[in-house]
Amino acid sequence: MGTNTLERVAVVASAQTTLRESWSSLQHVDLIGSAVSSALRGTGLRMQDVDVVIDCGSDVLDGRSISNCGFLGAMGAHHKEESRVEEDGLFGALYGTTKVASGSASVALIVAYSKPSESSVSAYYSTLTDPFYQRALGLDHVGAAGLMANQYLTTSDADEEALLRIAAEAWRKAGNNPWVETATVPTLADIESSPYVADPVRGLQLSRPVDGAVAVLLATEQVAHRLTERPVWITGMGTAMESHFLADRKPGELEACQAAAAMATRRAGISDVGSFGLAEVSGTSAAGEAMVVEALGLAHRGRAVDCYEDGASVSVNPSGGALPADPIMATGLVRLHEAAARLAGRLGDEAATTALVHGAGGLGMQNHCVFTLEV
Amino acid sequence: MRNVAIVGAGQTHHARRRTDVSQIGLAREAVTRALEDAELTMDDIDSVVVCTGPVLFAAVNQPEKWLVDAIGARLKPVVRVTSGGGTGLAGALAAVNQVRAGFADRVLVVAYDKLSEGALQYSISTLYDPFWGREFAVGIMGFSAAYWRARIDALGHSEEAAAQVAVKNRKNAMLNPYAHVKKPVTVEDVLNSRPLCWPIKLLDVPPISDGACAVVLASEDAAKTATDPAWIRGMAYYSEAENAAHRSMVQSEPLTIAAGRVYQQAGITNPRRQVDVVEVQEPYTCFELSYYEGLGLCAPGGAADLISSGATEMDGDIPVNPSGGCMGANPIGATALIRLAEIAQQVRGRAGDHQISDARTGLMQAGGGWANLRGVAVVSNTKG
Amino acid sequence: MSDSLLTGIDDAQVLDANIALPYTLTTGRAAGTFLAGLGDKRILASRCDTCARTMTPAQDYCNRCGEPSGEFLSMPETGTVTAITRTESVTLALIRIDGSDTDLMHRLSSGGPAADVGTRVRAVWADTPTQSMLDLDCFTPDDSGAEPGTPSPTGDIEPITEIPYAIDLAYRHSYGPHYGRLFDELATRRRILGSKCPQCRNVLVPPREFCDICFVRTAQHVDVADTGVLQAFSIIHMEFVGQTRKPPYVYAEIVLDGSATRLIHTVGGHDVDTLKERLSIGMPVRAVWKDAADTRGTLDDIDHFAPVFEQLP
Ligand SMILES: [Zn+2]
Ligand SMILES: [Zn+2]
Repeated sequence: MGTNTLERVAVVASAQTTLRESWSSLQHVDLIGSAVSSALRGTGLRMQDVDVVIDCGSDVLDGRSISNCGFLGAMGAHHKEESRVEEDGLFGALYGTTKVASGSASVALIVAYSKPSESSVSAYYSTLTDPFYQRALGLDHVGAAGLMANQYLTTSDADEEALLRIAAEAWRKAGNNPWVETATVPTLADIESSPYVADPVRGLQLSRPVDGAVAVLLATEQVAHRLTERPVWITGMGTAMESHFLADRKPGELEACQAAAAMATRRAGISDVGSFGLAEVSGTSAAGEAMVVEALGLAHRGRAVDCYEDGASVSVNPSGGALPADPIMATGLVRLHEAAARLAGRLGDEAATTALVHGAGGLGMQNHCVFTLEV
Repeated sequence: MRNVAIVGAGQTHHARRRTDVSQIGLAREAVTRALEDAELTMDDIDSVVVCTGPVLFAAVNQPEKWLVDAIGARLKPVVRVTSGGGTGLAGALAAVNQVRAGFADRVLVVAYDKLSEGALQYSISTLYDPFWGREFAVGIMGFSAAYWRARIDALGHSEEAAAQVAVKNRKNAMLNPYAHVKKPVTVEDVLNSRPLCWPIKLLDVPPISDGACAVVLASEDAAKTATDPAWIRGMAYYSEAENAAHRSMVQSEPLTIAAGRVYQQAGITNPRRQVDVVEVQEPYTCFELSYYEGLGLCAPGGAADLISSGATEMDGDIPVNPSGGCMGANPIGATALIRLAEIAQQVRGRAGDHQISDARTGLMQAGGGWANLRGVAVVSNTKG
Repeated sequence: MSDSLLTGIDDAQVLDANIALPYTLTTGRAAGTFLAGLGDKRILASRCDTCARTMTPAQDYCNRCGEPSGEFLSMPETGTVTAITRTESVTLALIRIDGSDTDLMHRLSSGGPAADVGTRVRAVWADTPTQSMLDLDCFTPDDSGAEPGTPSPTGDIEPITEIPYAIDLAYRHSYGPHYGRLFDELATRRRILGSKCPQCRNVLVPPREFCDICFVRTAQHVDVADTGVLQAFSIIHMEFVGQTRKPPYVYAEIVLDGSATRLIHTVGGHDVDTLKERLSIGMPVRAVWKDAADTRGTLDDIDHFAPVFEQLP
């Protein structure tokens, strides 16, 4: 593993569009351009100051091959270094961080977006599977979530009640998040009465695909101090990928998420994850979010629900997380934006000074990325 | 900045169609060879970067998710970088940054495409905006031919000059054990070959291939155990908005920018004299002529004379594509990484029958999209 | 335009598009042998000797260590459910086939006795094999009380090497703030719209929200001419899947008068040999519109661009 610790890299600004079920009046480029220009606004940075653009999107969702190639203008990438990481946006932030930490860029712009309303989310997920064994069975994200939730409940002491509570808390917090558009905020009773889509997962316990874009600006220490009083430092990063075959993963646990978290916290020199002020995590279902919370070490096995009780030591998903708003390729970068904006005090007074951020990609959250932040 | 070296490289025996391995089996073959070349195992690898062409080439979305188990990378960092035809270089650049930033000491980059699985030209046509122009798209070939036609007028990149590129590269491919098109041609053969998108004719076009390539990158510390590292002296990958105002495709601006940045990093002021061997990604012969100028191997408008002079032949003063380039094999997602692997093996003295003697500094170019993504790298047998 | 875009009302106008492509996928030895085995009503596993692990379904490489698998084993067609979920369309289960060290994902029969974690199940075979995972139709609860089976060596099985496959993806693309207007203008006025950058003053076609170079919002829509100059052209002879014109024809990139960007279209009005001979870069061209009855409000409303030969010196 890398012997040098990371050079200091900071999140200096970030912005997102409103996340909503359908932005049918706008195209990808409009959402992207809006997030990017909002991120730059008020920083004193101009697009010319950005050295590199890393973007995260999906050709399958966009209906266009190398779709980033058609969005370069809206990302401000013209005549800049640009690459696409075709994965959850937090992985794009990892690339951008290494680019800045290595000294080959002063300012990196990370962009992630999705417009799942234009395509089939099921097709996006089913085409992720191997074409011979899993795809022919009709496996998609819904079936995967059902099997994983069943495993979680079978292998731990958690019960369906806990998963209802986790979903209800997610929606309640999203109801207070002005960037998540919700017609109504479902209550625990609403969630409980929503039909199973893949038992034990009910419709309102599955993450809701939404359209949206998010942009994050990363910078060197020197630039960060010039731009902001409260740079949000990236203190650690880790990623790990799980086995492809859903049937060959450890039941009820996310080993790759554990590995990613261990890598990030080791780099950050943090031994007690209970010391984080807040955590922003991505789960594709209530059980998925529970498994992430446990894999990150925020709760004992089967006890994720404790993190949602009043007085829990770490505030988990103050934004509401991914269940009420999952802009598929952008979800992890939205988490980074939410956490960094809170630490920087951009969302009001914030007591927390450290944060744990998690993003995931793939079917059944095959790939995990974890960041640790500090102001 | 921390130094980074290529300490191992491997590729598959490319083929029009490999029926004996799946997509992941193909990628694994290259990984095995690169690790053997580096005298390492997967246990030594901290992180993996995967590169392939777009999903429609082979019907597997985010194919690294399927590949992970076959290369023994479970629970390691694995991420895929995509960037059109130059994706192999874009992935290598991501890996270089991981090493430089101290995120990893050794990164495996694996790039592959199994193009025989799908319908290539139509899948490439889906690059185009569904609202505007997709109905007239001819893959990337119609576009490429059109701007070659423009360069014929503006720069004298004649059909004869491009035919000489085909003759040279196809001859060089005869010496490359991994190439699968091994048939020498003459200038007349090329000129008389069937027009596909005139001025592009059949023999101006590389084959459609199944193939993979893998490279192991290491930090300076991790490279201490390597006997003959190839040091990355410069690497960059630039983009250009595909329909920006006054976009010129007579000379490629992103290529000029990338080359300028890399030459600055590598301390190169006169590439023709300071570089010993060049590998370029020529999806059609006409592009190699254009790259001569974009890379500064000759002045603008000088490419036809450069190829005619024999300078870019194996025994010329600036050999270009001793491997045969794309004309020997073109598994698109792997092609850029193959170019990087080839110059690394040249400066390591491991290029076999197409070794350029005393090659110390190698230059490579790669790119993709609508000729709007362009990358360059320089490697050398010294750290500099 | 401004961020007020982001608070605008939804309109439902979308462009329906499909991406449909045929494939021939290479199975590799293990999946090919496994699928051939299913046709023979057998479930095959592979064995990793390094990890001492029997994997069902068979894999070419061990899911743990990545090493090539050893021999294939013929597995019992009975096992135990380890996980289960019922979706709208299918009941999916993970099944630990007797003697396997990994689970197999498959379908459970709908109807019949309910299954749960721990339920013993056996394979139900499809009547007619189709070289698919579904040649094993599904598993169904097995209350025979039979002893768990054991793996046995597999004789020679000729693997299936390739299987046909197809992708068919449907999209509903939003027109956004510019394309709707652009196409309306094309359909009703035969006018082509661009958007003008307030900074560099270039007119961009198709109109867009941001100038690619200046990264500022464009200020206004302006008309551009339906005449322009030929920036590049080629002559298409090849045929390919999804082609919308019959070869040979001239592919062209045109810069319309009053704009600074390239438009992709065709040049016609003469036979291809004449065009090849007489077209040159920079030559003026003009749009030849289809009959009004055929207009749909797309770029295809222009039948082709015609060269203006007589303007040549
Ligand atoms: Zn093994
Ligand atoms: Zn402008």
